[in-house]
Amino acid sequence: MAAAAPGSALRRLYLSAYSWVVFFGWAQVLCYAASALLETGHEAVYAAVERPLQFAQTAAFMEILHSILGFVRSPISTTLPQITGRLYITWGILWSFREAQSHILVTSLIISWSITEIIRYSFFGMKETFGFAPYWLLWLRYSTFLVFYPIGLLSEVGLIFVAIPSMKSSWKCRLMMPNKWNFSFDYRYELALTMTLYVPGFPYLFRYMVAKRKKVLSARKTA
Amino acid sequence: MKVSVVSRSGREVVKGGIELKDSAKVADLQEAIHAKTKKYYPARQRLTLPAQPGKSGKPVVLSQKASLSEYCEKGSGSLTVVFKDLGPQVYYSTLFFWEYVGPLIIYPIFYYLPVYKYFGYEGERVIHPVQTYAMYYFCFHYFKRIMETFFVHRFSHATSPVSNVFRNCAYYWTFGAYIAYYCNHPLYTPVSDLQMKIGFGIGVVCQIANFYCHILLRNLRSPTGSGGYQIPRGFLFNIVTCANYTTEIYQWLGFNIATQTVAGYVFLAVAAAIMTNWALGKHSRLRKLFDGKDGQPKYPRRWVILPPFL
Repeated sequence: MAAAAPGSALRRLYLSAYSWVVFFGWAQVLCYAASALLETGHEAVYAAVERPLQFAQTAAFMEILHSILGFVRSPISTTLPQITGRLYITWGILWSFREAQSHILVTSLIISWSITEIIRYSFFGMKETFGFAPYWLLWLRYSTFLVFYPIGLLSEVGLIFVAIPSMKSSWKCRLMMPNKWNFSFDYRYELALTMTLYVPGFPYLFRYMVAKRKKVLSARKTA
Repeated sequence: MKVSVVSRSGREVVKGGIELKDSAKVADLQEAIHAKTKKYYPARQRLTLPAQPGKSGKPVVLSQKASLSEYCEKGSGSLTVVFKDLGPQVYYSTLFFWEYVGPLIIYPIFYYLPVYKYFGYEGERVIHPVQTYAMYYFCFHYFKRIMETFFVHRFSHATSPVSNVFRNCAYYWTFGAYIAYYCNHPLYTPVSDLQMKIGFGIGVVCQIANFYCHILLRNLRSPTGSGGYQIPRGFLFNIVTCANYTTEIYQWLGFNIATQTVAGYVFLAVAAAIMTNWALGKHSRLRKLFDGKDGQPKYPRRWVILPPFL
């Protein structure tokens, strides 16, 4: 692929800027979530974080392009399912269905996502801007997922189920034949499909991270 | 000569190495490894030369027909090869057959059998002419692919990992069913007669062009050779590297113009993306191989897959 050589100044500048901007977005998410929790309670978390969450999570779409264009080393086979899943929850579930927004699982979801992303983007930001990242940040990046991946997954799946009664009544979820484009859409099939993707998807992504953790942490130790 | 066979981590795969005649070929080495290890038949073996310290780039893969002495260090009578197990393999023809036979059988099931009853659509079904033509067209397409697999294509590698059977069949069979469901639906809305004719017309022309492309590609490889690359020439290959993919994409476009389903267009988009990915790889491989140096011809300027976009 015609990629800029890793280390090319323009690429580093762009990725630095991207990483820090999105880092800031997620930091905002975590702060607003924390203050909403302390002031009001878990029902208010979504309303407080909605805008920065949508901004930061949707910006992550760029990472699919980064992977395809070769700007970063992350493979498309892990980036695409990861980002797709996140965008589905952010827009397809949380934004679409009011009933899911006030649920306590939103809190566990936001905490898992924001802490993970804060660590991840600051790690990338450090590497692109300064050329290195301190060991403690590397360790956090490759260790906190062990806790937050499962919590995040359970929150995501839980919120999907919380939204099901709303799906039934929403016009967004059923488009029937006949129509000019010979297309139909039924949320029940879409739900079944989503669940069948989550089932292998989670172990695949989790195993990838575990293997990567072993490789990275041992390499750093011996370096 | 003595050949030592090691894994990528340095462990000896065949204890004590293998003794072979100096004139032995790589294929003989593969047979010997198979004899010693029982489960690693030649198609599963990937043999490379050890990476040179300091040199980067892809390791040199041993070519089956070459003599072992070609790979030896000058003067020494011994050779070290790095072994990688590619996992259980199937013939490409087997893989393709199973991928293509799925849609060939699944589509007519939706056309002929009363499956829509189980989706809640009772009662008589009126079949529009376009639905009948679509069924013939779709089935002919996959029948053609199966015939080409056995009689036309010459593969660069004879085998593919078994896991690809599940992955590829899932892709073809699922999309086959997805398209068949909508095209044969009791509430299907046909397009105008003119649009149908234009669509199928484009499709048929492109299928014929596609077949001719396959014939041209076949003639680039000799029947006894083990693959290899030539500069494709003639017909659309003069302007497009992967004219076979181009004609395939336009052929599906024709089908979709005639049948007009979202399912069909989704399939077209995904298939085009996959083929574009392959085409980019093939185009860059050919350009690297035919760089105009060392007596190699220079690869001419051509579109990759879809003029005028790429």
